[in-house]
Amino acid sequence: MNQEERRVVEGSDSPQQRKAGEGAKRVIFALAGGAALFVLGSIAFDFGIFGDSGSRPTPNSGDERVAAASYFQPPDESSIPDGPDGDAIRRGMALFVNTKTNASEFVGNELACANCHLDKGREPNSAPMWAAYLIYPKYRSKNKQINTMEDRLRGCFTYSMNGQGSPSGGPPPPGHPIYKDLQMYFHWLASGAPVGETLPGQGYPDLAKTDLGYDRERGAQVFEQHCAACHGSDGQGQRDLNGKIVFPPLWGPDSYNWGAGMARVNTAAAFIKANMPMGQGGTLTDQQAWDAAAFIDSQERPKDPRQTGSVAENAAANHGKDTYYGKTVDGRLLGTGTGS
Amino acid sequence: MSNPVTPQRPSENFEPYEEMRRIPIAVVMVAVALALWGVALLFQSSHAVAVGQAEETVQSPESEEGLGLTGARLFASNCATCHQPGGEGVEFAIPPLRDSPFLAAGPEVTVSILLRGIDGPIRVGDKTFDGHMPSFASALDDVEIARLVTHLRKRFAGRDQEVSHAQVTRLRQEFAEAGPFAGGEALAARFGSGLAPQPPAKPSPGGAAIAPEILKLVDKGRGEVWSCSSCHGDRGEGADTVPRLAGLPAKYIAKQLRNYADGSRQNENMQLVARSLSEKERQELGLYYSAIRTPSTARPSLGGNLERGRQLVLQGDWTIGVPGCTACHGPSAFGVAPSFPGLAAQHPAYTASQLAAWVSGRRDNSPQKMMNVIAKALNDDDRAAVSDYLATLPPVPATASATGENSR
Repeated sequence: MNQEERRVVEGSDSPQQRKAGEGAKRVIFALAGGAALFVLGSIAFDFGIFGDSGSRPTPNSGDERVAAASYFQPPDESSIPDGPDGDAIRRGMALFVNTKTNASEFVGNELACANCHLDKGREPNSAPMWAAYLIYPKYRSKNKQINTMEDRLRGCFTYSMNGQGSPSGGPPPPGHPIYKDLQMYFHWLASGAPVGETLPGQGYPDLAKTDLGYDRERGAQVFEQHCAACHGSDGQGQRDLNGKIVFPPLWGPDSYNWGAGMARVNTAAAFIKANMPMGQGGTLTDQQAWDAAAFIDSQERPKDPRQTGSVAENAAANHGKDTYYGKTVDGRLLGTGTGS
Repeated sequence: MSNPVTPQRPSENFEPYEEMRRIPIAVVMVAVALALWGVALLFQSSHAVAVGQAEETVQSPESEEGLGLTGARLFASNCATCHQPGGEGVEFAIPPLRDSPFLAAGPEVTVSILLRGIDGPIRVGDKTFDGHMPSFASALDDVEIARLVTHLRKRFAGRDQEVSHAQVTRLRQEFAEAGPFAGGEALAARFGSGLAPQPPAKPSPGGAAIAPEILKLVDKGRGEVWSCSSCHGDRGEGADTVPRLAGLPAKYIAKQLRNYADGSRQNENMQLVARSLSEKERQELGLYYSAIRTPSTARPSLGGNLERGRQLVLQGDWTIGVPGCTACHGPSAFGVAPSFPGLAAQHPAYTASQLAAWVSGRRDNSPQKMMNVIAKALNDDDRAAVSDYLATLPPVPATASATGENSR
């Protein structure tokens, strides 16, 4: 009673006014505070403080998968346009995954482009075609020339696809539609890719040499343990009940020849480390990858089509150090070919 | 407080009361924040629902043709996996559809092949194939087959002629008891000389008949141990969480039995059974089931997203490190002997239970622990999606050989 009286005397607000004012103040405080909490909460969530429990478990080693997000993303297949350009892209994709059927005149083994360029040439660190498309034309020490993409593809057909064993006896001739269709596919994969820079995930990541070096005997054990379930103990791959190759052959007459990049131990080791076993890339140790590569690339395979004289002459002219070409293993000179 | 307490005598009719205390400002703030969050969530999800509905309208094949999948879509899911998206087939393995004389012949030829499958040599164009084509009778209904055949003939043979589902129904009745065509010769004999010349059918693999003791194990069991068919069905078709065995690689079946026996694969019932078998019996049971060609009884049952399942089975999801199932289990998930079993037409409850067992480590007997790694990369929804999608596929066209090699 007397309190209220005092305030009236002091000439301040009426009790009703004062009550209303305090209520308004509380409402403002509450709203402002609530909004602030909400904003803080959202920020905290964005930074992942609460742990993103809804997300998927990461299948592979953490850093690799985190990095995956930063790789260039090629467009989805459903976005291939209709019309002549889309048809060419689709033909290119079909050539890429079903090479022997769609380029039967020029393929002399049982491989397909997609065997070494995984996920139809989309997978980073397995020499994705969206990255390769951007770096040609370029100088290559392999032939000491400026190479266009078509030149490069001719190399693939000559060596990796063993063109010498094909019905035509070589790669598609210059200007062949096969080159155009493949490049249409690559160009489409690279849609929106930044030009003039090296994209992360290009090629196979170089694998540093190990202190032990590589050894084909150790490699034989790695192969039996980690590779043979799919590629077979004899390395000849496996087929389904219709005879379609499901796992590619790694050596012998149906595999890449001695001139292929994959026939070099360092290239094979880099590919294996990043991509094999399928779906478990990065799980082998560097040493295991080197040894498995040494085991695979110390087996006989179709001869190097560049050879004109002896194996030794060709080894000196065209082969560097990380290869078994021209070496003698188990009393047998490697590089003489599989005779097909 | 400035208000001095004046000793007062409580009035006679005093009623106890509770003073109204103001809600602390902090609590109000939290309440407001929660309210804001709720509103934000509502807004977000309403947006997502709108987007989802829009996508559904765009993607749903129902809206394209009124009911079910379009012919093009059926082709992509059921045929392109082997015959390739462009219908070019696979050199030396799978016949091309493009310009195939079988498609150019009357629609009843294609319908019949789809209903019965093929198991024998067939000549398409200038090449001969050792054909093992599944029967789609249990995977597609009459409307779907009619739609698919219409699409195939139009796209690859230039025959623009609507096939009616009544025609499919009629042929389905006619062939109700018929097995696969024994190759191109049988097709030419049934549908006319336009398809000749065809290579002669291979003589049915004699010898290596299934021993009566093995058939007894299958049908009757032995002593205390029950028969295989009491759970896996008369034709190894399985049901629910009991797997379909028909058409699985012989060596795969034998290995699983071995693993049950030595405890490296766990299941009380199967461990008991497997321990009662000799190694020879395990192998012969494998041979017996691998050669059975029987319709699918599997249907999607887990509510999985079939579109996601289709993506995971055929393409994989490389962003989570998962290659497509078909990358190892073969182009139409028919398996690659001996280590990779066929997955097509498997019962979804079984497939999902195995995927869950790979995750927990309860099952651990795949080469390289490949399946543990892959199953862990999938979440619950993905596992249901994969399992349900696989159940929509036609059953493995088991080769009628008893040689134990499911691959050639």
